Amino acid sequence: MAVIEVTDLRKRYADLTVLDGVSFSAEEGEIFGILGPNGTGKTTTVECVEGLRRPDGGSIKVLGLDPVKDRRKVREQIGVQLQHTQLPENIKVWEALDLYASFYAKPRDWRDLLEEWGLADKRNARFGKLSGGQKQRLFIALALVGNPRVAFLDELTTGLDPQARRTTWELIKRVRASGVTVVLVSHFMDEVEELCDRVAVFDRGKVVAIDTPAGLVDGIDAEHQMRFTLMAGDMVELGGLPGVTGVTRTGNRVVVTGRGDFATAVTAQLARHHVLVSDLRIDKRTLDDAFVALTGRSLDPTH
Amino acid sequence: MTKLTIVELKLLTREPGAMFSLLIPLFILVVFGSSIEPGDTVLLPMALAIAVGLVGLYLLPTTMATYRERGILRRLSTTPVRPGNLLVVQLLLQLVLALIACALLLVFAGTVLGAHLPTRVLPGALTFLLGTAAMFAVGLLIAALAPNGRAANGIGVLLYFPMAYLAGLMQPTDQMPDIVARIGEYTPLGAFRQSLRDVWAGGAPSPLLLGVMAVYAVVISIAAAKFFRWE
Repeated sequence: MAVIEVTDLRKRYADLTVLDGVSFSAEEGEIFGILGPNGTGKTTTVECVEGLRRPDGGSIKVLGLDPVKDRRKVREQIGVQLQHTQLPENIKVWEALDLYASFYAKPRDWRDLLEEWGLADKRNARFGKLSGGQKQRLFIALALVGNPRVAFLDELTTGLDPQARRTTWELIKRVRASGVTVVLVSHFMDEVEELCDRVAVFDRGKVVAIDTPAGLVDGIDAEHQMRFTLMAGDMVELGGLPGVTGVTRTGNRVVVTGRGDFATAVTAQLARHHVLVSDLRIDKRTLDDAFVALTGRSLDPTH
Repeated sequence: MTKLTIVELKLLTREPGAMFSLLIPLFILVVFGSSIEPGDTVLLPMALAIAVGLVGLYLLPTTMATYRERGILRRLSTTPVRPGNLLVVQLLLQLVLALIACALLLVFAGTVLGAHLPTRVLPGALTFLLGTAAMFAVGLLIAALAPNGRAANGIGVLLYFPMAYLAGLMQPTDQMPDIVARIGEYTPLGAFRQSLRDVWAGGAPSPLLLGVMAVYAVVISIAAAKFFRWE
């Protein structure tokens, strides 16, 4: 069953078109990723779905309801973690959870959430004294305290150290295991690859692809390389193999360029002719490559 | 709503600014109180105006602008509760705080200092209500216009000193240039202090000054509502 259905969503600010016909649907119980660089309409889309913004055109259904018209009903059933939000410095962890629980008709017991999210010993700590990871866990706990059917998590690991990110990922998988549909907004490839069942790739206010992370990677047809060093045996002809587009050899070092799954054909050919090689490396195609192939630019601004 | 009020009340008691708003006017009263004559009608109205001015110009806008800056209002609007509830709760609590500050001053002045207290309650209550409404309106406008909590704090402090000067809270109005004192009487804080003084002197506050405060309260509140942004 589709938990979220977005059809032809449009939003303009003055001369700037932020959303230019966005459509996707998220299924019950999955982690649905919304991936793209900053400023491509990811957050705007999610905020429209949450009912925080009104779109100029298109339709949105969340659990079969309109987030603007059925505001209250929708909000009873969704949990939200927003980017760039804080709590008052002096609020205690338990007070925040207790307070947010009181907003919902059928909340979860916040004491369980304290345990689940490793905040039990921080129960009486003030928000301002928490570490980045603890704050983030509290925000996720707050998003879940209303016992939602859908949780929206926006850039949830920004600013966390690698260890804290890993821990957060494991916890998000547990949220999915409990049956909650998760919408994950991210510009981190590794996060999306690790967590998402399906991903909508955003570029310039449009969805340019929707697939599983593996499906997106397999779908690209870009050239990539494999390299190895000849150990023993004579080099065999590789240029004629399916997918191979080029072979260069410098001394014992060989670089083969190709498309698709040419690496399997190359290794099979080497084995058939008993050519021993070492240092075999196949450039792994990543979601980032898929992104470049789809949009013509890299997601990581440092590239 | 009850839980929201309780939590906000707890947060207010943890806010050092709230303590300052209670203690600064009391401190001024204690320092100058020893030199007043029995039956003084000047000092206590000044201290009361300072107390309400501090809450309205400093504490109220800083708290509200901080809530917006931190995205607390936005976060709240994703829950079944409307963020307007938080603003209402905050306004009521700040009003209670101003009341407590004034009550402290009255009790201290009445018992320890033996200062004069007005016998007619109604004009006093009306003056307090209108004066507080006018100051809170200014505070709300600051909260609406300030981009963040620190800016709201800065604007509040910057506004407080000229307003307090014009209102005759820095020095008695009879030592101020005539024209300045006259203008000052028609500022929100000045009208408030003058009206309180009229009440203390045993008379009724001038309807003109009460009207001035009411107009300030309404007009500035409307401007604040117009400029207010949730995020």
